[in-house]
Amino acid sequence: MRPNDRKYTKTHEWVKLSGEDAVFGITDFAVQELCSGNEGDLVYCDMPEPGRAVVAGETFGEIESVKAVADLNAPISGTVSEININVEEHLEVLSRDPWNAGWLIKIKPESRTLDGEGLMDAAAYEAFIAASKH
Amino acid sequence: MSAARERWRLLETWCAEPGWNMALDEALLASADPTPVLRFYTWEPAALSLGYFQRWSTLQARAAGQVVVRRFSGGGAIHHADELTFALAAPATHALFRGEVRRSYERVHGLLARALAHHGVQADLRGARAVSSDRAATGMCFHESTDLDLVWDGAKGVGSAQRRTGGRVLHHGSIKLGRTALEEGVAVLRTHAPELTAEGLARELAEVFADGLGLELVAEGPRPEELAFARARAEFYRSPEFVRRR
Repeated sequence: MRPNDRKYTKTHEWVKLSGEDAVFGITDFAVQELCSGNEGDLVYCDMPEPGRAVVAGETFGEIESVKAVADLNAPISGTVSEININVEEHLEVLSRDPWNAGWLIKIKPESRTLDGEGLMDAAAYEAFIAASKH
Repeated sequence: MSAARERWRLLETWCAEPGWNMALDEALLASADPTPVLRFYTWEPAALSLGYFQRWSTLQARAAGQVVVRRFSGGGAIHHADELTFALAAPATHALFRGEVRRSYERVHGLLARALAHHGVQADLRGARAVSSDRAATGMCFHESTDLDLVWDGAKGVGSAQRRTGGRVLHHGSIKLGRTALEEGVAVLRTHAPELTAEGLARELAEVFADGLGLELVAEGPRPEELAFARARAEFYRSPEFVRRR
């Protein structure tokens, strides 16, 4: 079971409230789709500068594996307050710990609720993934 | 009764301007129409395309004197001369692209290998083998192989990359007919099929895709809205701001 302290998107990002911030990351499923367990296959992650606005459902960054570039989509709206520089330099952390050390950005959210359209709890996300495999 | 074959669009745009080529692929990627597209094309003039995240400084010396664009897809640079380029655009949920990126490459490259076998080319995935086309730090796609690359004659012969955006996939592929000065050491098809043309190879690939995936390929031109987008967007792909963005 994936962590139930956060919400998930259909494009495999997660968002979690932490103090005044909301934290974004990508799920283990997204990492597996991009690199099939080869952590060295992730080669680059482009994230927004602090101060930039991000909009729910729109692209806030991009990630490149050896064979694909994929968008990173914002689960909720707000203003970027911090990016995880460690991820930029050590992309393997996304394979090893996508839920904690592999967080991508923190934002000051427009709203401190995670009940936006399209956001799923862990159980719904598990069901979504199971359905997408068929 | 036989099952209905899945309908795909088949586009052929020969000798098209490099920026326009990339812009049309963006239009196909962004399309709201879920009908998958198989597009074949060539470039006029020949051009060097950089991968989306490549650093300009890596390619600057090789780009001297070349027409240069940057792709929306990732990977290394490709010299689009004496080759067939193809693009696949489809929802990420399509059976060809569903699941791990790795699986989608295996499916696409399996189809390409079937087509190349018609010319006596024994192409298969590189796997753990070393290939003679690899070169250090040139920035060229064909000089940096992975286990998923299609290899024949001991060298990489197909360059490929994907972009995944908005629930859709754009898969780019470049199949070398002959060698170019910027891509020394690659595997080419003319070694096996001296008379092969880009148009002829496209016809063969279309047949293999239709047969292998159970498709009805409907040949058509780009739609008016796609043409309008490509016309307006072409300059962006060859602009210094985008080409030298990193």
